[in-house]
Amino acid sequence: MADDLKILVVDDEPIIIRSCETVLKSEGYNVEGTLSAKDAILKMEQRPYDLVFTDLKMPEVDGITLIRWIKQKRPDTGIVIITGYPSQDTIKDALELGIIDYVPKPFTPSVLLDVTQRAVTWVKGKTPVVHKEKEELPPAMIQEMDRVINQYKNKPGSSIPVLQRCQEIVGYLPPEVQKRIAKGLNMTPAEIHSIVSFYSYFTMKPRGDHNIRICLGTACYVKRVEEVLNKIKEGLKIDVGEVTEDKKFSLETVRCLGACGLAPVMVIDEETYGAMNPKKVPEILKEYA
Amino acid sequence: MEKIRANLLMCAGTGCVASGTPKVKAALQEELQKRGLADEIKIVLTGCNGFCAEGPVMLVYPEGIFYQKLTVDEVPKLVEEHFLKGRPYEKLLYKEPEKKLSIPTMNDIPFFKHQVLRVLRNKGLIDPESLDEYIARDGYMAAAMALTQMTSADIIKCIKDSGIRGRGGAGFPTGLKWEFASKSQADQKYMLCNGDEGDPGAFMDRSVMEADPHSVIEGMIIGAKAIGASKGVIYVRAEYPLAVKRLQKAIDDCRERGLLGQNILGSDFSFDLEIYLGAGAFVCGEETALMRSIEGKRGMPRPRPPFPAHKGLWDKPSVLNNVETLAQIAPIILHGADWYKTLGTEKSTGTKVFALTGDIKNVGLVEVPMGIPLRTIIYDIGGGMKNKKKKFKAVQMGGPSGGCIPESLIDIPVTYEDVVKTGAIMGSGGMVVMDEDTCMVSTAKFFLEFTADESCGKCTPCRVGTRVMLDMLTDITEGLGKDGDIERLQDLSRDIIATSLCGLGQTAPNPILSTIRYFQDEYESHINEHWCKAGICRKLSSFSITEDLCKACGACLRACPQKAIVGEKKVPHRIIQELCIQCRTCYDSCKFGAIKIGPALRKDKKEPAGKV
Repeated sequence: MADDLKILVVDDEPIIIRSCETVLKSEGYNVEGTLSAKDAILKMEQRPYDLVFTDLKMPEVDGITLIRWIKQKRPDTGIVIITGYPSQDTIKDALELGIIDYVPKPFTPSVLLDVTQRAVTWVKGKTPVVHKEKEELPPAMIQEMDRVINQYKNKPGSSIPVLQRCQEIVGYLPPEVQKRIAKGLNMTPAEIHSIVSFYSYFTMKPRGDHNIRICLGTACYVKRVEEVLNKIKEGLKIDVGEVTEDKKFSLETVRCLGACGLAPVMVIDEETYGAMNPKKVPEILKEYA
Repeated sequence: MEKIRANLLMCAGTGCVASGTPKVKAALQEELQKRGLADEIKIVLTGCNGFCAEGPVMLVYPEGIFYQKLTVDEVPKLVEEHFLKGRPYEKLLYKEPEKKLSIPTMNDIPFFKHQVLRVLRNKGLIDPESLDEYIARDGYMAAAMALTQMTSADIIKCIKDSGIRGRGGAGFPTGLKWEFASKSQADQKYMLCNGDEGDPGAFMDRSVMEADPHSVIEGMIIGAKAIGASKGVIYVRAEYPLAVKRLQKAIDDCRERGLLGQNILGSDFSFDLEIYLGAGAFVCGEETALMRSIEGKRGMPRPRPPFPAHKGLWDKPSVLNNVETLAQIAPIILHGADWYKTLGTEKSTGTKVFALTGDIKNVGLVEVPMGIPLRTIIYDIGGGMKNKKKKFKAVQMGGPSGGCIPESLIDIPVTYEDVVKTGAIMGSGGMVVMDEDTCMVSTAKFFLEFTADESCGKCTPCRVGTRVMLDMLTDITEGLGKDGDIERLQDLSRDIIATSLCGLGQTAPNPILSTIRYFQDEYESHINEHWCKAGICRKLSSFSITEDLCKACGACLRACPQKAIVGEKKVPHRIIQELCIQCRTCYDSCKFGAIKIGPALRKDKKEPAGKV
């Protein structure tokens, strides 16, 4: 079944590559290995791979940079990370970039095979059409969510923290995520939904790759933030709460970012831009395009 | 021990970070390394310095020299001048706007000179992530006193005597709140901190949590001892990631050093704390709503009584204090109630932190004694209007629950009582300064948009009432205002105030009432003459050029997005009304004040549309 799929393993430790090759080839997968992300990029420029397994910490070019490159140049490639440091932060970063799953180091052959099988099913199931009604969540996300739910399960009043963490993992809270959380916390989906719809922090719409937040606090209002907002709406051709067609940008307004000294304020992802005016907008957006 | 010749205290508050602190710090480090000074000069990243307008800012000790608007390009010159040649680097010093004279030391700069720092006592002086640096500034001395030498009654008496009132908005005496909770009998009590800073335009709580997280924790330990609580929760906005990170570090450090947990400092008192992230709902500033939110539900308020001091979080007696209140507790215990009362007035003691923003020159955080004239804050500390040609119009205090104080009242002393008399409220201390280019009807509409959106929907007067008022204001700003609208707004306001369940609804009409009180003429000109004199409401304004004042410089002509302005060199320009979309760009671009704002024109664009 697997011979039509090409897998590339990137890791600076030869032993990892060797063991991946041994394990996966025995199951009939088509595997290649390389010792550096730089080399991996060279290889991928030559031909596409269906799946890339990559380490995160490597000399010269690291895994995250490689993932970014793949996402830009070979967006159809499925990515799985192999990491000796499965800290929540690194996994969060990688999830944000769109990985399918991760293999913790050291791993047993059965773990590697499991993950590979899941990744292969996911890659195959993913039709190349971009607009799909119901996008399936990658297994790593579901695992991570279940871990969070289990961690909070028996703590009274934990629905809001769980929702916050799950939104961080998935990016938004679609109905299936809410249902999963409700089930895990032994609540009804209606209860969970009532919380999601009440607080402005929660969103049920997916965000773009870059989320733009415009402050509508008093200080920003007095400094006419509306003109900035209009310019962005014009430039991206979307309204507040919408995502651009290419899913690059989403636009939100917030009540006050508490950075009134810099009014008017705009935040893109985690970067704060102060003393905004409409003229600055195109330039800043270009940085993210 | 290594010898440190100088300490560079770089502001790493949100404002300065956005203005470039990280890049400047990296450049500084590299430059110091290059010149072989890295071992004797230490760079410390501190919390918010307060002077956000001039960021990124840096303070150099031991001299106390204040540098502002640092840039990467200036770093080599700065290092050469200050640390090799030993003289302040003139170019980056603060300059008095009119006199062009530079002021090297921080304490001589007017922005800092009038301030008295109690809440912000450690701002910009310590590394917020270091427990040792906090302790070196008398940190946890008060907690030690409270836990080992004082009874619960002693603490409450001291806080009551100090006269301190809750800094979150309503100004309820803190000591009384503690006393009620301490008298309630229960197996479990809770000490809570509200760090959900919801007022748009206020950011002091964020700054305190980021710059001095231990001061909040120490206040909570003392409060917990006073009311007999063994558990505490700090409720922080999820939008404040840096504050959350620093508070968490502070809590972890305290646990490790025995300042939180079982038998604190060897006493028989045990107390532990956790952080709860808010999910963004303004109504959660209301105490019963906040407690519901910690329980993981929709944050809706409930009728009181029972008061939280009897039945609060999980139905147990609870006290909720604001960040700024808690940060002042330690110095009161340490120096005594009488020391605290040396500043302020009889009914409003101590100091208050204000977030000064809007059309003012020195934007930032300031802490001043209560009772200081509003004029001193705006003109001496704030440096007056940002655009010197514009006149001061009003200052908005108290956010969506507050009101506007007009120019005629600018000499009032800033105390709880005097501010309330003007129709505004002290609130959490946001001061948004507005110049003459502000439309007060639009301002009221802005706040109603906020409250209508944030109303939790539980009680009808607030849910429906705010929406109806917002619709009326929208009509007025779009030229659909009717005779009697002003009176209807006032009537409706009174009803909403009288019948709403919680503070959100009860104060929501304040922005309307106070703008009608001082700027009724503006409402009238919007309704009767279809004229927004500030030119903010597009449907109620028209623009024209006064020929005598026009210097034919072409600035407006170039700025106009509609190409609606015609003219040549030396020929006064003219606006073609048929093309004009009232965007106001020409008005802002004219340096000579030649552009006049008139009432809306009739459809045929010839005559004013208002009643004749």
